[in-house]
Amino acid sequence: MIAIRACGASFSSDGEEIVAPFDLVVRKGDVALSAQPTPRAASIAARICAGIVKPTTGSVYVGDYETRLQPPQAKRFVGFVDVDGFDGDAHAFRNETAFRADVWGVDARAAHARAEAVFAALGNGDERHRRYARAIALALVPDVIALVLDQPSRRIFDRVRAFAPLPAIVRTRVGAVATPDPIPELAPAAL
Amino acid sequence: MGRRFALDFAMQFVIVGFIAYVFALTFGTLIPVLLCGALAATNAAERAHAAELRHVSFFAMPLFGRQLARAHAIAPVLGALAIPLGYATGSAVRGVPLGAQTIALLIVATIVAVLVALSSVFRDGLRAALYVGIAIGAVVTIALSALVPEHGLEIALTLAVVEGFFALRAFGETLARYDPV
Repeated sequence: MIAIRACGASFSSDGEEIVAPFDLVVRKGDVALSAQPTPRAASIAARICAGIVKPTTGSVYVGDYETRLQPPQAKRFVGFVDVDGFDGDAHAFRNETAFRADVWGVDARAAHARAEAVFAALGNGDERHRRYARAIALALVPDVIALVLDQPSRRIFDRVRAFAPLPAIVRTRVGAVATPDPIPELAPAAL
Repeated sequence: MGRRFALDFAMQFVIVGFIAYVFALTFGTLIPVLLCGALAATNAAERAHAAELRHVSFFAMPLFGRQLARAHAIAPVLGALAIPLGYATGSAVRGVPLGAQTIALLIVATIVAVLVALSSVFRDGLRAALYVGIAIGAVVTIALSALVPEHGLEIALTLAVVEGFFALRAFGETLARYDPV
């Protein structure tokens, strides 16, 4: 099953091309990388893949839904983690979990238990690491088919890949060369 | 968030109450409506508030623009009610209690001002200021229609409902089109 498919997606602002056209096909269980020249471009590419930002050209599908035409339907199946993570304390984290459970129609208790378990598995680290881990836990409150990680650290990314069942993962990073195709970095083994 | 919201509410209530206490004898009906509307519009368009509402997490939710608009509008509308309530309290303390119709007019004018001005938080510069101007314009139409002899209040309330409805729709459209880059 194809979780995220991008065809010639790009983003321009005021006539300036920020994200060059890219293609991407990610299936459930796959891991794909989108390298962008600047942090801003990486964040916008992540938002495009998650259906949050509409591409200037091309199209992006999450499951069967085109993100420009059916953004709420597409967002239902994708979890997005911003580069800054979740900037809130444990109380705010619990509130946000309950809010997301309500929005996605998930059982609140199960959502709390899952979020706490994910955070416990990922959250051992400094403050920035914990913020990012909280954001991942929140992104996984619903049963998503794809997880979009905006510039994750190598350490947290390695831990995420150990989850089961593994959704499709798209991660962005700042690098010199954009990669048009998904890179199967690791097969989901021993999950 | 809750503590800051309560503090904002209390500060607005006290400041507007003080203004009402000082000027209640000289202000008629029209000026309080304009004052409350203008304060509510500028407060709703405040930049720090705008930065919060633009946070990417809201736009990662599987919500339609109209749903986000309703969710975004609740807190600013409730917070802005401190302005008419503060004015009514300050005026009453001064010994010039407002009638129920005037209080109703202040409240609806405030709500309409907030709903119109909210669209400015997703715009910058002149376009943001334009929405504050439109909000004040909407308040002026409500205040002026209330001056119509006989059924003035009914006309003003009807106008407020229509303006508020379209303002919320426009805010929803703004949110649906907004790209949090």
